[in-house]
Amino acid sequence: MQFLKDTHFKFTDYSTRAVGISLTVIVIGIISLLFVRGLNYSIDFTGGTLAQIKFQREVNANQIRDALESKGVQKSVVQQTNRKNEYLIRLPEYSQEGGLKNKVNQALASVDPNFKNLETKGVGPQIGEELRQDAIMAIISALIAIAIYIAFRFKYYFALGAVAALVHDVLFTLAIFSFAQFQISISTIAAFLTIVGYSLNDTIVLYDRIRENMKTSRTFTMKDLIDDSINQVISRTIITSLTTFVVVVVLSFAFGEVKIFAYAMIIGVITGTFSSIYVAGPILIAWKRKLKSS
Amino acid sequence: MFKKTKVRFIIIAVVILLSGYSLYWSFAYATMSEQEKETLRRKGQLDKYKSRALHLGLDLQGGMHLTLEMDVPTLVGNLASNKDASLNQAIQAAKKASNQTEVQFIDAFEKQVKQNNIKLAKYFSDYGYKNSAIFDKLRQEAKDARSRALEKIRNRVNQFGVSEPVIQKQGSNRIIVELAGIEDPERARQLLQRTANLEFKLMKDPQVTQSLIQSIDRYLKSGEVSQLDSIQGDTTESASEDSTAEIKEAQDTTVDVDEVLGIGGQEEDSGQKDTSTAAVVDKEMMKEKPFSSLLRNSQQGMIMVPKKNKYHVEQILQKEAVQNLIPYNSAFYWSPEPETRTLRSGETREFYLLYHLNKEADLKGTYVTGAQASLGGSRGAAGQPIVNMTMNNRGAKEFAQLTGSNVGRRMGIVLDNNVYMAPNIKNKISSGRTMIEGFDDMQEAKDIAIVLRAGALPAPVDIISERTVGPTLGQAAVDIGVKLIIISFILVIIFMGIYYKKSGLIADFALILNLFIVMAVLAYFGATLTLPGVAGLILTVGISVDNNVLIFERIREELAKGKTVKSAIDSGYSSAFTAIWDANFTTIITSFILMQFGTGPVKGFAVTLLAGVIASFFTAIFVTRTIYNYSTSKEVKQELSI
Repeated sequence: MQFLKDTHFKFTDYSTRAVGISLTVIVIGIISLLFVRGLNYSIDFTGGTLAQIKFQREVNANQIRDALESKGVQKSVVQQTNRKNEYLIRLPEYSQEGGLKNKVNQALASVDPNFKNLETKGVGPQIGEELRQDAIMAIISALIAIAIYIAFRFKYYFALGAVAALVHDVLFTLAIFSFAQFQISISTIAAFLTIVGYSLNDTIVLYDRIRENMKTSRTFTMKDLIDDSINQVISRTIITSLTTFVVVVVLSFAFGEVKIFAYAMIIGVITGTFSSIYVAGPILIAWKRKLKSS
Repeated sequence: MFKKTKVRFIIIAVVILLSGYSLYWSFAYATMSEQEKETLRRKGQLDKYKSRALHLGLDLQGGMHLTLEMDVPTLVGNLASNKDASLNQAIQAAKKASNQTEVQFIDAFEKQVKQNNIKLAKYFSDYGYKNSAIFDKLRQEAKDARSRALEKIRNRVNQFGVSEPVIQKQGSNRIIVELAGIEDPERARQLLQRTANLEFKLMKDPQVTQSLIQSIDRYLKSGEVSQLDSIQGDTTESASEDSTAEIKEAQDTTVDVDEVLGIGGQEEDSGQKDTSTAAVVDKEMMKEKPFSSLLRNSQQGMIMVPKKNKYHVEQILQKEAVQNLIPYNSAFYWSPEPETRTLRSGETREFYLLYHLNKEADLKGTYVTGAQASLGGSRGAAGQPIVNMTMNNRGAKEFAQLTGSNVGRRMGIVLDNNVYMAPNIKNKISSGRTMIEGFDDMQEAKDIAIVLRAGALPAPVDIISERTVGPTLGQAAVDIGVKLIIISFILVIIFMGIYYKKSGLIADFALILNLFIVMAVLAYFGATLTLPGVAGLILTVGISVDNNVLIFERIREELAKGKTVKSAIDSGYSSAFTAIWDANFTTIITSFILMQFGTGPVKGFAVTLLAGVIASFFTAIFVTRTIYNYSTSKEVKQELSI
C-alpha cells in the first residue's frame, strides 16, 4: 500500500496564497488576542477564588458546574475532595463585593440549600505569571539554540526558515485559541511544546532533502528544487502526520484539560505540516532564487 | 555478518533485561496487596520498592500542591530590638505598597524609611549604624529566612513519607510544595504551617541507657517464652525470621552488649565477626537479647541503628509495656537522616542515630538569637568549621546554669523532635556566646546553623494557595485518558502493519520497545510522570514512528529504482540517517534546554522527550536494522515486505 506515489505537485506556486491565508488568520488572531477576546487563561494563570464547600446531601461535580453556569458564572473548576460531599470550587475571578458572591451562593443553594462554605480565599495570579515567563524564556532559548544548530548543519538562511515556521505555528495555534476561547492551562503549555517539537521535526526532514538535492540536483531554480524535495518527502509527511493525527483525534474524546490538550495538538499537527511546506520552504526561495548562474 | 548480528541481538537483549529489571519494581509495587506491603515494611524493604517504582505526579495520582509565602514584614518587625509607632507605620505602609504593586517588601520599606527620614540604627542596633548597611543585613536575613523555612518544611514533609516531594523556591519569598498521593490535606496543612520547635535536651547517662536497653531485652525475651502478648510475640518471631532468612544481613546486628553500649572510644563496627560463626552467635543473640541485637556500637550514649533495623526498633519502642520501662522523664529520639559510615570491611552502610534524652526541654530554642557558621580562629579550633551561637540575656542566664551543672554531659539539639547533633558540654558558658565544634565540613556546620536559627526569630509562613486534586475527578479523567491513549496506540500499530506490512510490524516492535525503555529510564532516575510527561510520550511515539517511516520511504524509493533488497535496505538506512540525525538532535537540544530552564510542567515534558528521542535512536535504527540483517542473512530475498 502506498499513498501519493511519484507526485509532481507544484506546491510553491500556491505558497503566496497559502501563506496569505494563514497570515490573515494570524493577524486577525493577534488583533483578537490583543484587543478583542484575549486568551482564555485558566485559573493557573489568572488566580481567582478558591472555595471549599461542604454539601449535606449527595451531589456530583457536574450538578455544581451546571448550577454555576445557569447563574452566569463561567469557567468554574469543580473538584471533589477526598471527604464526602466536599468540593473545591475555583473561579477565575476574585471579588469580595456582592455580585459574584451572591451568584455563587444562589447557584450553590439551588443544588443544596444547606451547603456550608468552609473556606473562601483568593489565590494569586503571580504564580501563573512566573511560570509563564519561565516557559517563554525556555522556548526562546531553545529557538536560538536550534537556529544556531541549523545554521551550522545546513546553510545560515535555513535557520531563518525553520524559526519562521515554528513562530508561525505557535502564533497560528494561539490565534485559534483566541477565536475558540479554549482555556490556556499548564497542559496547554505542554501541547505548545509538543507542537514546536513536531513542526521542527517536519521542517528538518524537508530541509534534509533540500540539502541533499542541492548537492545532486540539476535544477536551476530554488523553486523547482524545493518543489521536487517536497514531492519526494510528501509520502512520509502524510504518513507521519496521519499517525500523529489519529493519536490526537482519539485523545480529543477525553475531557477536561486532556481534551484541550488534544485540540491544541490537532491544530498543531495541521499547522506544523502546513508550515514546513509553505513557510519553511518558500522562505528559502525568497532568500535565494537562483542556485547556479546559468 | 551473522556473527555481527549475534552481537547486536545480545545488546538488544541486555537493554530489554535492564529495562525489565528497572520496571519490575513498579510492577511489583503496583500489584502488591496491603498485607504484603506491611510484611515488607517490617523487613524494612518496602522503601526499596517504593523508591524504585515509577512515580505518578499530582495530576495523574492526585495530592496536594501548596504555595507558601514568607511573611517578610513580620520578620522585619521581629528583627527590630525595639519598636515604636513610626517603625510600625513604615512597615505597614511598605506592606500595603508591596501588596498592591510588584515591588518587593524590603524595597518598599526602604522607600518609606527614606521618605520619613527614619534612622534605623535606633531599632536595629545589632545590624549596623548606617541605614544602607542595615538594609543589606535585612535583605540577607530575608534570604536566610527562606532557606530556614525550606529546611523546616523539608523536615516536616519527610514525616509524611511522600516519595520525591517537590519543594522549591519560587520568586523571592515563595516556596512551592507538592505532595503527590497525600490523603489527609488537613494534616499536611497543619504540619507545614506550625512554626519550628527548637529545644535543647540533655542526654541521659549512658549507664542508665544501657541498663534500660537490658531491661527491654529481658522483657522481650520473657514475652517470647510466655507468648502472653500476641503482638509482641509476633514481632519477635518476625525479627528472628529475619535473622534466619537473611543471615548476611543479620551479621549487621551481631554485637556484644558491651559493644552495643560501649562507653568511650571503642572502634566503630567492631561487631564484624568471623563469617563462619556469625550465624550461630547471631541466632543466639537474637534469642537472648532481642532488642540490643538490633542496635550497633555506640559512642558516648549515641546508639547507631542500621537503616534496615529502624522500623523494628521503632515498633519495639512504641509498645506500651516498653514505654512503661522507659523512665517517665526521658524519651528516645532519632536523627533526621541516616548517616553513612564505612565499616571495617570497607563496605559503607547507612545508620540512624538513636538518642536517649530528657523528655522535657532543658532550654527552649526561642532564646537563640543567632547562629553563624565560620572557620574557628581561636586556639583549639583554629581552621576548623565551627558554629557560633548567641542567646539573649535570659537564655544566657539559664544556659550558664545548665552548662555549669552538667559539664561533661552531652546536650541534644532537637528540632521538631529530630536530634541534629549532641555536642559535649566542655565547660560552663555564661556569656550566652557558645561555640560548637566537631563538624566534618563547612556544609555540616552551615546546616546546623540553619537548624539553630530555625528556632530563632521564625518568619511566619503563610499558605497562599493550596490545591487538592480530588481523586474521583482526577481518576475518571485519567482512566479515560489512559484508555484513549491505548486505543490510539493500537490504531497506530495496526496502521503501520497495513501500510508497511511485515516491515510495519518491525517498526511496531521498535515502537513498543521504545516506550518500554522510556518508562524504565524514568523509573530508574526516579522521575515523576505527569500529564506534560505523557505529552512527551506522545511526541516520542510520533518521532519513533517517523524515524521508521523515513527509512521505509527511502527503501521503497530505492526498490523503485530497481535495486536489490539488500542494497535497497543499505542505502535506505544510510540516506535516511542524516534526516533522522538532524531531526532528533534538534529535539535533543530543545528538550535539554527546556529541562535546564523550565520548571514544573515544562521540565516534565522535556525529561520524557529526551529519554524518548535517545531511545528512538536505538530502537528505530539499531533494533530494526538488526532484524533486517537477520532476515536477509539467512537467504537472499527477492522481495521485501514493505
